[in-house]
Amino acid sequence: MKRPSEEDIISRIDAFPNIPSAAAKILSLLDDPDTSAEQIGEILRYDPGLTANLLKLTNSSYFGLPSKVGSVNQALVLLGWKKLAQLILSACTTAVMAKPVPGYDLQPGELWRHSIAVSVVAEGLSRELGVTGVDEIFTAALLHDVGKLVLGDFIRDNTSSIDDESLREVSFEKVEQRLFGIDHAEIGARILSNWSFPETIITAVRWHHDPDAADPPNNLIDVVHIANVLCLMIGIGIGREGLQYTPSEAATRRLGLKGEQLEIVAAQAMGWVEELSESFSVHFEEEF
Amino acid sequence: MILRPARERVWRGRVKVQPMKQIVAVGDMKVGRDGDILVTHALGSCLGLVVYDPVAKVGGLLHAMLPLSRINLQKAESHPYMFVDRGVPLLFKAVYQMGGQKQRLIVKATGCGSPLGKNAMFKIGERNYKVLRKLLEKNNVALHAEDVGGTDSRTVHVDLSSGKTIIRIKEKRKEL
Ligand SMILES: [Fe+2]
Ligand SMILES: [Fe+2]
Repeated sequence: MKRPSEEDIISRIDAFPNIPSAAAKILSLLDDPDTSAEQIGEILRYDPGLTANLLKLTNSSYFGLPSKVGSVNQALVLLGWKKLAQLILSACTTAVMAKPVPGYDLQPGELWRHSIAVSVVAEGLSRELGVTGVDEIFTAALLHDVGKLVLGDFIRDNTSSIDDESLREVSFEKVEQRLFGIDHAEIGARILSNWSFPETIITAVRWHHDPDAADPPNNLIDVVHIANVLCLMIGIGIGREGLQYTPSEAATRRLGLKGEQLEIVAAQAMGWVEELSESFSVHFEEEF
Repeated sequence: MILRPARERVWRGRVKVQPMKQIVAVGDMKVGRDGDILVTHALGSCLGLVVYDPVAKVGGLLHAMLPLSRINLQKAESHPYMFVDRGVPLLFKAVYQMGGQKQRLIVKATGCGSPLGKNAMFKIGERNYKVLRKLLEKNNVALHAEDVGGTDSRTVHVDLSSGKTIIRIKEKRKEL
């Protein structure tokens, strides 16, 4: 079977669809705390589907807002700009993340479900641990596996090498590196870099399987790393590679995470995912 | 027994009776009888437990996520099948209720995987398995077959007409 060169893969990263233009405009306003409802409205008015998705997302019981939000203005007042911006970015990227991912054996909607699961579990872990300064965690978690959309095709064409017995105990991102010279985390980071995402999010995506290699490590990366492993363990978006990843002991130490806290969050994960995903009609059922 | 006219017998022979396929979600349990098929997907560290009575042809499948329910007493009430310590006894009781008898039951376990490395906190699958073994021992129930541990994601398929249990890992299927 033909082994792709790193250049083949990089050309596919550069050919990856552009960021939705609304998301690009939101990103350019991200650091401006005085962003007004008019500015946001101006961005959204040309994309009624996006506005509808945003309001559905905002009204999902996961966020538990006291009253039904009917306008962008109301959402801004209730959530604040930082949170609202994260939700707009999430709504913008739904279509991309809901695609099937052959190679990793993820049916249509499974990567999306995994992505929102890692988002809510990462938020849950942050609350449980009292970790602060992780405003971008929802978006970082949502997009952490975007690189799988590129690498999936290459995995599919090389399953016999991937499944080699000698690699069974090797963490899967290392398997990807050995076979392709790059892993899905690095690919994801490069996609988000092409999309001009903030550096904190790019870094979290880049190191989500190897948080100790970040220079320096930080809470945001560590939490996304742990949340991802936990979601795979409970079977949300677990694909061809199964649980073939290595949770970092250093990350759990840096966060002061205890086993009990991990189980406390796990017990709530399904409920959070249902609360958030009820507003999306993502259907997935695997044939046996 | 009433013998049906030949034409009807032939006609009946041609009809393919569709078995009722039931999907067991994470943290849930389903029971059924002859003609039903129980399926659960994507077992990572969760326990998949099959209980079957080959005489009564009734059985059930549990997909439990965490070892002990004391971690969240509210969920223990609202979602008892999420926990091995609550779900396993409930699975047995549900199968008894359908006519299953304890001494005839065939019990098979799968799932209970773990990620790589030595980080004990993430060995939830191993703890799920330990709690299961303890419960079975305490109740004098033998485990007839198991395919547990490792990093694989497993799908389980149980045919309640025979108890035949198939585990699928990637493209490979094997009988448990
Ligand atoms: Fe990943
Ligand atoms: Fe992931």
